[in-house]
Amino acid sequence: MLLDDLLSRRLVVLTGKGGVGKSVVGASLALAARARGKRVLLVEVGAPLEAARLLGGPPSKGRVKEALPGLSTVNLDPATVMDEYVRHVVPVDLLARRVLSSPIYRRFFSAAPGLRELMILGKIMVLEEARARLSRRPAWDVIVVDAPATGHGLAFLKVPLVASRAIPVGPVGHNARRVLKLLRDPGRTGLVVVAVPEEMAVVEALEFQRLAADELEVEPAAAVLNACHERRFSDPEEAEVLRLTAEEARGSLEPGVALPAALRAARRQIRRRRLTRLYRGRLKRGLAAPLASLPFLFRETLEREDLELLAERLEAA
Amino acid sequence: MPPRRRPEATLERALRERHVLVVCGSGGVGKTTTAAALAQHAARGGRNVLVCTIDPSRRLATSLGLNRLSGKPRAIDLSGRRTKSPRGALWAMVLDVKSTFDALVERHTPDAAARKRILDNRFYRHVSAALAGSHEYMAMEKLLELSADPQWDLVVLDTPPTRHALDFLEAPDRLMDFLDTSVLRWFLKPYFAAGRLTLKVATRTGALAVRLADRILGLEFLQDLSEFFLAFEGMYDGFKERATRVHALLRDPASGFVLVAAPAPLALEEALYFHRRLTEKEMPFLAVVVNRVHPDPGRGAAATRGHRRARVPPALASKLVETFREQQTLARVERRAVARLEVDAKETPILVPEFEQDVHDLKGLALFAETILPAARAASNRVRAGAP
Repeated sequence: MLLDDLLSRRLVVLTGKGGVGKSVVGASLALAARARGKRVLLVEVGAPLEAARLLGGPPSKGRVKEALPGLSTVNLDPATVMDEYVRHVVPVDLLARRVLSSPIYRRFFSAAPGLRELMILGKIMVLEEARARLSRRPAWDVIVVDAPATGHGLAFLKVPLVASRAIPVGPVGHNARRVLKLLRDPGRTGLVVVAVPEEMAVVEALEFQRLAADELEVEPAAAVLNACHERRFSDPEEAEVLRLTAEEARGSLEPGVALPAALRAARRQIRRRRLTRLYRGRLKRGLAAPLASLPFLFRETLEREDLELLAERLEAA
Repeated sequence: MPPRRRPEATLERALRERHVLVVCGSGGVGKTTTAAALAQHAARGGRNVLVCTIDPSRRLATSLGLNRLSGKPRAIDLSGRRTKSPRGALWAMVLDVKSTFDALVERHTPDAAARKRILDNRFYRHVSAALAGSHEYMAMEKLLELSADPQWDLVVLDTPPTRHALDFLEAPDRLMDFLDTSVLRWFLKPYFAAGRLTLKVATRTGALAVRLADRILGLEFLQDLSEFFLAFEGMYDGFKERATRVHALLRDPASGFVLVAAPAPLALEEALYFHRRLTEKEMPFLAVVVNRVHPDPGRGAAATRGHRRARVPPALASKLVETFREQQTLARVERRAVARLEVDAKETPILVPEFEQDVHDLKGLALFAETILPAARAASNRVRAGAP
């Protein structure tokens, strides 16, 4: 079972290029973990599409909010996290406020290389290590992170590596090394590569795996192929579709649904299904990690039930 | 103002006449493919075209059916298709951020010692390629360089896949803000410029600032950083001058912006935002291209009057209806989203239907261009008919 292994780790980080539906996969994964009775936190980074909204919970700007019993969400904003960090290391309120109100601090933070990524990852590490006040057990069983959709999923994750090399001493370098250790620990962190059955997305997923191994020394724990067109017509039915097409069969199937139009739709479905199979095969052969497939959903808007359906698929993978 | 008409003709003309084409849009919408398709069309039309991508995952290479592209322009062989050999030439390259940054430093440093001071700085070595906005800034820098090269009639720039696709327009300002040593120097110089960590403290406020900075970021880090800033001293004016020229180039009537979007509501919302920003910034906007529009299976179908029921086994019939309805829903959702673009942005988008195969080679790119550009279609028909 894909989830058995993946959810044995506390931190699950989703990567993938823009447009592959990472937010939806993240929300579904969080629901699947919740269905297993885990206390789940879903983390997004400055995302336009809020996971909370998908799950029907309150907006979670900057603060951890419970969307459903056992499932909380938080939308991390780099500037807020940085302010929090300043308050933490400068415990004197007056001084902290002086730093925070300084234009130099603002300016520095807005342009300093990698500082945003480092702060976000640092915050995620803090969440991963958080303990409940009384029981001292971990505050979260699973933390699902929807990493920002940089063109290059690795850019975000590589920041701690670069920082730990560039800044050997001091708090920034120290934190960078701790984050790096967390990301590299397969007992604590699982990387999930998300793709869709398309040439570019599959090429990138495979490239991500190679670069993650070469540069970060991390292997993806799992992959999710989203928006798959699954088999609907059996072989004889496919043959029948082709025969009816060749015959130019006419008539209607029901009011408003002409047979030629429905056949056209069917041929498109069959073609997309074949492409899905092709790309799934390529991913399977190229990836060392187990692969789950999620169906393409034809919906006006995605509802909770849709996500639950995807969660069940992940559970069954 | 009514929606702008005939965007295909506008785009076609731009490909014949303009000098710089910036292709922007959010990630995953087929920006690279669109850039490559437009570039190869202009090259087939007789121009010398360079398409430059910034994406480190080398998607352009895939689009061109190649395994790898380098930081140097490389000629792409356009012949071999059913066309005669093209009159122009297509070149492609991937932006190398680090080497562009190095070249920029070379260009602006007053002497070899200053150059060495920057290039050897630990901070610069590790993070110059990762500096916030450096991808975008170097793209602009490269664009300036390439557009000045008489070898190219047209430079097509595929922009970085930032979350906010227009970040690159502001990147020069952001990076300059960062490198503008005047503010940071005030903060750092008294403590670091003279000696290493001696920290001779001039004022109590200053001492406090350093103590706080130490707690937050660490003195070692600040030391490296201040060395880095000090090394850039004197280069600021040069950088600023380049940035001003980039701004001018982007607003030039010989430049043009193509906005690429996906037909999903969320993606089009972003496209609307980009469009507004481009217009606000007075950038020469050309067209919106909406990729992978799903066809409505009901469109163009013969009317189903007569109620004659088709003779199809019931199990298959219900699957056929389900499939039809799904695709109809998808097409309706997309149509509504696209309609909003027409109403709010007053632009008639160029709709690119979903292709039977993914576009990832020259043949696919040519097909892509033929689908959206009337002249490309006509040229290809002539070839098919065997006419000159």
